Amino acid sequence: MTKAAEWQLALPLALCFVSLFLAPLLLLIGVSFFDDDKITQPGFGQWVKFFGDPFSYKVIVDTLLLGVKTVCATVLLGYPLALVYLDAPPRLQKVLIFIIVMPLLLSVVVRTFAWIVMLGRDGVINQLLLSLGIISEPLRLLQTELGLVISLTQIEMPLMLLPLISVMSRLDPNLRDASAALGASRWRTLFTVIVPLSMPGLVAGCLLVFASSTTAFISQTVIGGVRLIYLPLLIWQQSLVVFNWPFAAVASIALLVSVLTVVSALSWLGRRSSGHLQG
Amino acid sequence: MFSRRSLLAGATALGGASLLPAIAHAKGSVASAIYPGTWEEAYRAIVAPALKKKDAVDLELQPLFAVDQIAKARAARGAPPFDTFVLDPGPRITGIEGGLFDKFDGKKITNASKLPAGTIDDWGIAVSAQVVGIAYNPKKVPAPKGWKDLFTDPWVSKLGLTGFQTTFGTVSLIEIAKIFGGSETNIEPALVELKKVLPKVAAVGQPAAMPSLFQQGQCDVMYTNTQTVATLKGRGVDIEFVKPETGAITFFTTLHIAKGSAEVANAYKYFDVALSKDVQEALTKPPYNLVPVNKDVPLPADLPMKNLDEMATYVQHDWAKINPLRASWIEKFNKEMAK
Repeated sequence: MTKAAEWQLALPLALCFVSLFLAPLLLLIGVSFFDDDKITQPGFGQWVKFFGDPFSYKVIVDTLLLGVKTVCATVLLGYPLALVYLDAPPRLQKVLIFIIVMPLLLSVVVRTFAWIVMLGRDGVINQLLLSLGIISEPLRLLQTELGLVISLTQIEMPLMLLPLISVMSRLDPNLRDASAALGASRWRTLFTVIVPLSMPGLVAGCLLVFASSTTAFISQTVIGGVRLIYLPLLIWQQSLVVFNWPFAAVASIALLVSVLTVVSALSWLGRRSSGHLQG
Repeated sequence: MFSRRSLLAGATALGGASLLPAIAHAKGSVASAIYPGTWEEAYRAIVAPALKKKDAVDLELQPLFAVDQIAKARAARGAPPFDTFVLDPGPRITGIEGGLFDKFDGKKITNASKLPAGTIDDWGIAVSAQVVGIAYNPKKVPAPKGWKDLFTDPWVSKLGLTGFQTTFGTVSLIEIAKIFGGSETNIEPALVELKKVLPKVAAVGQPAAMPSLFQQGQCDVMYTNTQTVATLKGRGVDIEFVKPETGAITFFTTLHIAKGSAEVANAYKYFDVALSKDVQEALTKPPYNLVPVNKDVPLPADLPMKNLDEMATYVQHDWAKINPLRASWIEKFNKEMAK
């Protein structure tokens, strides 16, 4: 196939991308430059309102922090699991991959409501801790950031593990043997051989988990409640409850830009680390 | 490899298939927005077959919350994505102000005379009532008498709250404000009192999550409507409805015809069937538990009123006054309640 034909094959997707993503994005940016909710008076009023309010900064920071916390939790729990996968016999690997992918097969709504059953005052976790005598009063887990991070960690875990495992299973097992033969301890092998070589997968996982958890509207509002305010809730309220689309557009752009900034930084780090390895 | 001929044939078939719904439409149907969940199930099971039987009109239901209906209709700008709306008072006013409805002629509804006074106007017709009050778990807490009780022990530490996103949340917070010296247009006192007890409150949640939170024991008292109470009771949840001492709140859910709809005649037929005695009566039964507006329908025993006329004495609100203030209330609620 010639180069031109290859290029033409990509055309339908490119057209879809332009018409279904780029055009609405430009519309969104356009709408943000109107002062009134009827979208008749052009102006910067909504930008001034959003960025003139310290509350908006708090919401942006909280949203990004939620992403960071979820990424940290998925790395801490996911990385050891990926190592277990790497060393497991093929039959067990199949079982593990099924368990890892399973959350993706369930609707996010079902997963989220299941966490209400787990984290509630009379939920599974509290009942267990109470029956073991570890606590005397039910813990408040639902509608706290801790509860939200716990549930998001489970919900987003496949996004961390799948890229991580795909990169790690391509690692040459001889490298580990070589490291051991040269006298490195298991920990040293982990930190000087495996972790650096798995960095592209780790960064890709972090990227996906970060982008997905900062925008996880259903989980954030159902498990976090409405006292934990993140940008998706603000956008939903403004666009669908009070119909102030220009303000919602500004908040959407703020979400897009802030998440993109962190994601670009992460992907730059990823490229840097893989370049470092190859160089 | 695909030949040009087979590709063309495929494309024609696909194009033809996309025309099919349009053909079905032409035979007699009405595309109606409906609230997701109980309403959708009820209308699919009861209203759609009744309409098909009586008028041979297909009822195509599109599950959408009230606010989503308004958002879609506004975004469509004159080419409505459905023929009829089902709305609560707040979004109804937004729809009227946004010019989203066709003028409504109550004379075309044969069941109109069965409805309580004031339920038909130039923009639409009531199809169900909602009665809002306090729900509590009788196994966990004693029955509260009114809104003020929610701010004291033992209720406050079991209280589940929602904000101004929904009609029932907004009207409940207004009634709370009134108790503490506020009014329909001044909800400040409610927020001041809420802020005082906030550390004790069991849950501040999304309206849609409240029934689950109650069912899971996260909260044992909340403000809600009789339909939610009846539905949860049907699932075996310990829940009772209390009419607050200052009165239960009531408002109507209304049907409207979308401006620009091509199925106006079928929309009237649909409304008439939805308001007929048999259909309204079937809708009051579990698991649907909708409150009827047709006066010939006997009221279910667990409703706080004996007949529909009694609802005229219940607390009602003027949404034309509330709507302009709601955006600022939501903003205030966010800021006051945020952790």
